[in-house]
Amino acid sequence: MDRRAFLKTGGLFLVGTPCLGGLLVMSAPRTAAASGAGTRRWGMVIDLRRCPADCTACLDACRRENNVALHDDPRWDVHWIRKVTIARKHGKEERTRTVPLLCNHCDNPPCAQVCPVQATYKRADGIVIVDQHRCIGCRYCLIACPYNARFFNYKGGETWTNTGYPKRSHGVAESCHLCAHRLDEGRPPACVEACRARGTGALCVGDLDDPDSEIARLIADNSVKRLRDDLGTEPKVYYIGL
Amino acid sequence: MDIAYQPIEGRSRGYYLLLAILLTLVAGGVYATFTMIAHGLHLSGMTNRVPWGLQIVMAIFYIGLSAGSLVVSGLYGIFGKAEYRPFARIAAFLAMLFLIAGLLSIVTDQGRIDRVFVKPFAHFNATSMFSINPALYMGHVMICIFYLWALFKKKGRLTKPTSVIVVLWALGVHTGTGAIFAFTPRELYNTALLPPSFVAAALSSGAALMILVLVSLFKITRRHLDIALVIWLGRLLAVFIVVAMYVILIENAHRFYLIESREATSYYLFSGYHAVLFWGGLIGLGSVVPALLLFHRRRGSSVRWIVFASVLVVVGVLCERYLIVLPGLEHPPDLFPGWEIVGSVLDEGIVTYTVSVYEILQALGVMSFIGFIFVLGLKYLPLLPVEARAHGQSQMLKGMIARAVARRAARAQGVSATRL
Repeated sequence: MDRRAFLKTGGLFLVGTPCLGGLLVMSAPRTAAASGAGTRRWGMVIDLRRCPADCTACLDACRRENNVALHDDPRWDVHWIRKVTIARKHGKEERTRTVPLLCNHCDNPPCAQVCPVQATYKRADGIVIVDQHRCIGCRYCLIACPYNARFFNYKGGETWTNTGYPKRSHGVAESCHLCAHRLDEGRPPACVEACRARGTGALCVGDLDDPDSEIARLIADNSVKRLRDDLGTEPKVYYIGL
Repeated sequence: MDIAYQPIEGRSRGYYLLLAILLTLVAGGVYATFTMIAHGLHLSGMTNRVPWGLQIVMAIFYIGLSAGSLVVSGLYGIFGKAEYRPFARIAAFLAMLFLIAGLLSIVTDQGRIDRVFVKPFAHFNATSMFSINPALYMGHVMICIFYLWALFKKKGRLTKPTSVIVVLWALGVHTGTGAIFAFTPRELYNTALLPPSFVAAALSSGAALMILVLVSLFKITRRHLDIALVIWLGRLLAVFIVVAMYVILIENAHRFYLIESREATSYYLFSGYHAVLFWGGLIGLGSVVPALLLFHRRRGSSVRWIVFASVLVVVGVLCERYLIVLPGLEHPPDLFPGWEIVGSVLDEGIVTYTVSVYEILQALGVMSFIGFIFVLGLKYLPLLPVEARAHGQSQMLKGMIARAVARRAARAQGVSATRL
């Protein structure tokens, strides 16, 4: 390559790099201040000691409230909240535990980080939510979520049990949104309400930043654990008795 | 020296038959895609636990293959190897087509294809590799088109700097593609060596495919191609294979050594079909055998063996691409360290992915689509040079070629020795 060609190439790159940089800065993800305004930071506490293994009140309520599809095929079933039974890998402890799993509404959500269209985002009140009208269905969020809490709508076919909440089309990602539509109206999420109605009271949703809230007291008074704390995702679902 | 280009005639029955077959396969892919748009992606083999499948494997395979242009156009543009200039057009054309194939594979894999063409531009997310990469890919396609234009119009002063940009941009493309996987918190994905190993495997598969395309095209159209050019590309391929193998082995040794990822890595390396694909497909047949063949004094200077080795490399890299995507998904993330999940409504343990007919139809459709354009391009664009001759050769090559020529002459008896 002669000098002239070298200068030309170099010049192109010198001009091109700042342009690209500018583009990146302009398109940096914006914090979604429009929805979920206020100073709250929603979180959840699950008290496993009060969560009976055979109870499915929260799962059923969630399915009814949010019209979540069930096809009786574990490959495509959508579970915004599910219960798993875990046992120690080693050691003598025989006892198994039943753990409800749902979206952890991480403070550093990897799903929102990888979403190519910013359809998944964190609201100002900490809820991680999917914009169903923007999601292109690339499933990168399912790959990035370390909790297997995200689901893809492979088949559609929701039964519209709750006409107050929309159904979804197949081809988009979905997950627990902490019943944001209910929280915005001042009502607790469907799972929490069902858990209370059953009398178990294992689930509690509240403002983590309010030191006088029930959830803050539960976290302060008990030994709580979060799932895969080591990943730095800062999940906001706390477990007692795990 | 001016290079003469001559498109193929393209009037034979075989030519039209090929076009018809390719179009039929494209129709099959379109049918599969529209069926899935209508009924949902459950028709694919993908599930909640394995949300990426064959289409993503093929996408990164194609994108890697486009590195062939990088090798061949870079030879002329950066290293000043003028004897490879005749291939610059066809290399750039193929690079563009492979990038398009990669983009098509990704687009047809989306749940909402109708939104793909608007939303990613309207809501670009700078922290998502899935946002950055399409920009890189489309940039690459555009640079390739500009490069082709410069080559067709014989803008001599533009072609060299453009070929440098093509090479640098391609490096970004391949690094970015590796980063799609490397930048996620999954056990078998998040290794910083994935982008470099992706680049290395891209170079070797791209060079291998370029060898296959050049040798077969020149043979079918009965044009002259100097053995020396193929032999030298074979040597280059051998070096790429060794580099790729080195990075891949280090990557796996590292994650196998670390106790936190040992369980996942031993599942990947030593159990089930992955072990066969890794040790048999990628390392054995895809790397060691072709490297030995290409470094061999006699076989490495025989076109037949070079072509055989190239086929092995392409298949080996396809195995590698499969191994990048699938095992990391089939192996579950560790939700409860020290515990195991014994009961759930979902498949929480190790799952398997089975390719569905619809995905195969889609993959064949994309492949046939670029095949169709390529075959048309050969007829309507001045891509193929009339001949390709080696000018200045190194002493080593001269010796190798002389021996190859002598053997060939002895075997072929009377047929022009350097003619393929």
